[in-house]
Amino acid sequence: MSNRRFATTARWLAVPCLLAAGLLAWYVTREPASPFTTDTAVDAALVSRGEYVARLSDCVACHSLPGKTPFAGGLEMATPLGAIHATNITPDREHGIGAYSLADFDRAVRQGVAPGARRLYPAMPYPSYAKLSDDDVRALYAFFMQGVQPSAEANIPSSIPWPLNMRWPIALWNGLFAPAHTYAAKPSQDALWNRGAYIVQGPGHCGSCHTPRGLAFNEKALDESGTPFLAGALLDGWYAPSLRQDPNTGLGRWSEPEIVQFLKTGRNKHAVVYGSMTEAFNNSTQFMADDDLAAIARYLKSLPGDPARDGKPWQYQAVSAAGRLDAPGAHTYVTRCASCHGLDGKGQPEWMPPLAGATSMLAKENASAINITLNGSQRIVAAGVPDAYRMPAFREQLSDQQIAEVLSFARSAWGNEAAAVDAKAVAKLREHTDPASSSPIILHMR
Amino acid sequence: MKRRIETPQDLLDLPAGETINLSRRRFVAGTAIGALVLGFGLPVGVPRVQAAAATAERGTQVPAFLEIRPDNTVRLLCPFMEGGQGTYTAMAQIVGEELDMDPAQFVVDSAPPGEAYVVMENGMRITGGSMSVRMSYPTMRRLGGLARAMLLQAAAEQLGVPVSELSTEPGKVLHAASGRSLAYGQLAGRAMDLPVPDPASIKLRDPGQFRWIGKPVRRLDAYDKSTGKAVFSIDIKVDDMLHAAVQHAPRLGMTVGNMRNEAQVKAMQGVHSVHTLPGAVAVVAERWWHAKRAVEALQVDWQEPGADNTLRVMPADFSSAGWLDHLAAQTGPARDDEHEGDLAAAMASAKTTVEASYRNQYVNHGQLEPPSATARFNPDGSLEVWLPNQAPDMFRADIAKRTGLAPEQITLHSPLLGGFFGRHFLYESANPYPQAIALAKAVGRPVKLIWTREEEFLRDVLRPVAVVKFRAGLDADGMPVAIEAVSATEGPTEALAGKQGEKIDPTALEGLSGKAYAIPNKRIAQIYVKGPAMLGYWRSVGNSLNDFFYESFLDELADKGGKDPYELRLHLLRGNPRLTTLLQAVAELAGGWKPGPFTAEDGSKRARGVAMASPFGSHAAVIAEVSIENGQVKVHDIWQAIDPGSIVNPAIIEAQVNGAVALGLSQTLLEEAVWQNGAPRARNYDLYPILPPQRMARVHVRIVQSGEKMGGIGEPPLPAVAPAVANAVARLTGQRVRSLPLDRHTFS
Amino acid sequence: MELRINQKTYQVEAEADTPLLWVIRDDLGMTGTKYGCGLAQCGACSVLVDGNVVRACVTPVAGVVGREITTIEAIEEDAIGKRVVAAWVEHQVAQCGYCQSGQVMAATALLKHTPKPSDAQIEAAMVNLCRCGTYNAIHAAVHELAEGGKA
Repeated sequence: MSNRRFATTARWLAVPCLLAAGLLAWYVTREPASPFTTDTAVDAALVSRGEYVARLSDCVACHSLPGKTPFAGGLEMATPLGAIHATNITPDREHGIGAYSLADFDRAVRQGVAPGARRLYPAMPYPSYAKLSDDDVRALYAFFMQGVQPSAEANIPSSIPWPLNMRWPIALWNGLFAPAHTYAAKPSQDALWNRGAYIVQGPGHCGSCHTPRGLAFNEKALDESGTPFLAGALLDGWYAPSLRQDPNTGLGRWSEPEIVQFLKTGRNKHAVVYGSMTEAFNNSTQFMADDDLAAIARYLKSLPGDPARDGKPWQYQAVSAAGRLDAPGAHTYVTRCASCHGLDGKGQPEWMPPLAGATSMLAKENASAINITLNGSQRIVAAGVPDAYRMPAFREQLSDQQIAEVLSFARSAWGNEAAAVDAKAVAKLREHTDPASSSPIILHMR
Repeated sequence: MKRRIETPQDLLDLPAGETINLSRRRFVAGTAIGALVLGFGLPVGVPRVQAAAATAERGTQVPAFLEIRPDNTVRLLCPFMEGGQGTYTAMAQIVGEELDMDPAQFVVDSAPPGEAYVVMENGMRITGGSMSVRMSYPTMRRLGGLARAMLLQAAAEQLGVPVSELSTEPGKVLHAASGRSLAYGQLAGRAMDLPVPDPASIKLRDPGQFRWIGKPVRRLDAYDKSTGKAVFSIDIKVDDMLHAAVQHAPRLGMTVGNMRNEAQVKAMQGVHSVHTLPGAVAVVAERWWHAKRAVEALQVDWQEPGADNTLRVMPADFSSAGWLDHLAAQTGPARDDEHEGDLAAAMASAKTTVEASYRNQYVNHGQLEPPSATARFNPDGSLEVWLPNQAPDMFRADIAKRTGLAPEQITLHSPLLGGFFGRHFLYESANPYPQAIALAKAVGRPVKLIWTREEEFLRDVLRPVAVVKFRAGLDADGMPVAIEAVSATEGPTEALAGKQGEKIDPTALEGLSGKAYAIPNKRIAQIYVKGPAMLGYWRSVGNSLNDFFYESFLDELADKGGKDPYELRLHLLRGNPRLTTLLQAVAELAGGWKPGPFTAEDGSKRARGVAMASPFGSHAAVIAEVSIENGQVKVHDIWQAIDPGSIVNPAIIEAQVNGAVALGLSQTLLEEAVWQNGAPRARNYDLYPILPPQRMARVHVRIVQSGEKMGGIGEPPLPAVAPAVANAVARLTGQRVRSLPLDRHTFS
Repeated sequence: MELRINQKTYQVEAEADTPLLWVIRDDLGMTGTKYGCGLAQCGACSVLVDGNVVRACVTPVAGVVGREITTIEAIEEDAIGKRVVAAWVEHQVAQCGYCQSGQVMAATALLKHTPKPSDAQIEAAMVNLCRCGTYNAIHAAVHELAEGGKA
């Protein structure tokens, strides 16, 4: 579980604690308002729509465990202060959310406040879900109440000790960092763009991984008005690349159809999903409607890149690794990597991704490159079928130094110009990560 | 092999009216009698059958083994499986020597099951325990002699001269008086119809006159194996065959519950059908790749084992590290295997005492050919199965039990083994043939099932683990006077039985027991600890771990007593000329005993270690030279002297020593099957690396023929490798390693 | 799709992502090329594509359309391959033999590109796994070939 999101730091707990001392108790214990004063009539169509919103929002990734009852909770998120666990969100009245009214549900999802004014940890991405439309919240509620089987699985208490486990300071954090409004369409943009912006910022919560975070672990921007928005971020041993128009570390070289293809099938000629994105793909993006994927692509293509951050655009340079055997790391590349990724670094698109021009080979952050080399890839399950090819784990075969050298080699070949990888960085990730499972991991929603 | 099943000679034996259809035909005879059918140019002769049935003595039914063809080639049905150890070539040498036929003229295949082929002196027929040659040597020589006598008799009849006037040269009978000669191929038809002579009448060759036994005869399979022509189980093709792949329960004992997406998987490209098997689901398809992808896609709700479960259940919280700690915590009761002298008194009066605890790791077989099986039900209700195995009669009996068929209705084919190392014995839950048979039955067509490498790592049986606690006492001179080893372990044989036997499982303690060193007071004992992991035999079995423990601890005693480990061994072997000679031989091979540390020509600091082992009727002595490179052990050279008593093929022995050293280094340096949460962490070679070429050592071999009873060769060169390396590492670094593999330790 | 294998043209029907290995073995019935791991770890499936050694288990068949594939079945039709096989027999390399198709292909590819390879080039090229431990025999055979020896 150590590779899962939100697991590395507790700054979002510690900093608010310090800020909190002088603020008023009423603020932190109040129950925020909800537009839903009465529950709505539910029909099958609404439940079905809610299921789709749950897919968009990828609720299952955190609230379900493989082989267990859907949405019965349990995913452990390790923090330096202790572990917290995703909760049971099945309609069980005692252990789940069966007793929630629509307004209760709304406050939890969009504002991070559970009944009794208990503040949720922002591991729950309510700062993004805050943008969900009323209709989508209503549908989501219908799905969780009617489309999900109740489970009496008890929630696992957090192991964070007192006083750090006090939750009221989160309310202050929310006041500073969580938006209070649903998504407002931009009249200057067309419907497709607005739909894309809504999914990316709201249910898709792409920024949770792809937007860099501030000192308080807040996302530095929650929409396109801030240039850090989706500009790439390091989280839990993976570097989630820029989704902006950066040719090296972002989507600058991807067309809209290529973005759609990637989110729909898990692969295109530039890349194959891996790391944390495998979970997002397996559980969420592949289930999105084609129109929605097109909308996402349209929106992402509108986010400008930053040449100062991204550097000189990559250009392929033809060279065979076999001709450079004296270079450190080249021997390892030729013997361990070239079968799939090619002596020319071009891979075998769309099954084995190229390393020439790959984000992980161009980005300053090298965590993803190290992590996947150590641990291999999780199985990509597209349309119910596990992938034909997977990345092996090399942690048992290559030393820290060998991995550092082979990655340094690949990050400096074929026009790649990224910094060398240090063996200490490999050692650190080796210690904190586990190899990916070679078996497909399927999370069910029903 | 492929070219053999396509020979025109074989086609001539087809019953009239049967279409010539290569892939449907028998290409290895189904029974002992079936072998007779292959006798060229003649119908099944009644005299042959009678001869086969009437001769009771082991290995005398000549026509069951030998087919001499018109072109003067000899097809030998070998009682043993060829998996790289060279038994086909060795058997051709042994039989050819007495038959008077160049082994190069032999074509060898595995014999089918059947009493006729039980040729080992212990009354068994298995390919294992390094037993093939040593346990059948006199019998197989006599077989060649019997066949030669029949050919001589046939020639006498054909030429109308007394047998006494005839002699043989390789491949032919000579009548010196008339200058006439007849090739064996011309005589075979008549000869094989003759009654088999009295075995007692056969006079074997004087070993001093051997042309092929004891010589580096070239392997019969070298060319086929260098050109992809060799046929393994995984390569079998039969007409109308479907392919299958399985997904096993994540933990042994679990059962199949609901399959969530069965309908979707059934609709996948190329899928024929989806099946539920005990503890597994299967997909049958027109192509294996389709079956494999589809079965991986199946989403199964696996159920915890039920009350009716008969398998060893893998608990969800099992871990290999936890299990070793559990073994280390065991205090008894222990059963003695060896107990000599007065251990307690000797320990009490010892000048110095030494204690240490050693442990080893689980390892996988990792043979390169993934398990497979092909099953076909014939219209007459009989069943044919192609599968890798080391014991055909046991497999056929098991198939009979499972299917309710009589053994005679089951034809078992045993293609070449793509490595075995103990993998292909009868392991409940670790063999694909029961699944293949069930699937063939279900779909009404032949089915070939291949396990993916991932399924193989999930279901392979493991080499056992042990935690051994040693105590020893040294006298005032630093000489060992007492040694005790108590091993907390479960041996593979008792694991297969599921319980402890009345006697101690010899495969649990061999290598702790049976050491030749003259230490007057000793006790070797076992604390039996039944574990949840399925265990099996792994090349050199108990010796693969126990000699590491014992020979490493012996070096600890040498260190403590201020003795040189080589000199100490010589001292403890005084009065044992065979092992003294062997130890001196390995030192001489290595240019004299020089433990170091010393600086090598390349500037690296190196040291050497020595160790011995006496497994499977042979004796071995090993010297290893090591250095430390980037914190890890590099083994530069292995010198090995081995005494199997007497030998059949020195070239194959040298190859076997190389192979055993490779596997020995692999378990010493890097192999470890790690289990966590009831599952193997590695499901392929990525997380379970085996020795790669760049970590192989140079190997230097000296064969010592003491003339003692013949011993084994496939396994004996392995066990002394690990302790020799560990002793060299201790010499070099001062770090005494008491667990393997060495890659888990850091050296400076 | 159309494949060129061992100087012959084959029409095969397979999805684009099917590994070349299984097309060769199951569709075309050439079983000399072996399945060992399916993960590019062992090299038992090595074949030549345009004279370069590739691991057929990780080679989607669509990627080799229009290219010249050589399998072990035709290795002796290649002058260098024939020498390699002869050296393998001369040095009695094989034990179980399961990996040797791949080893022969790897050695052939090496010598086609580099008739006199250095030790480093040999080490980089001869990386296929062998569980029987024939590495020293392989080493001897390749070095003899590299030195233009009799084989």
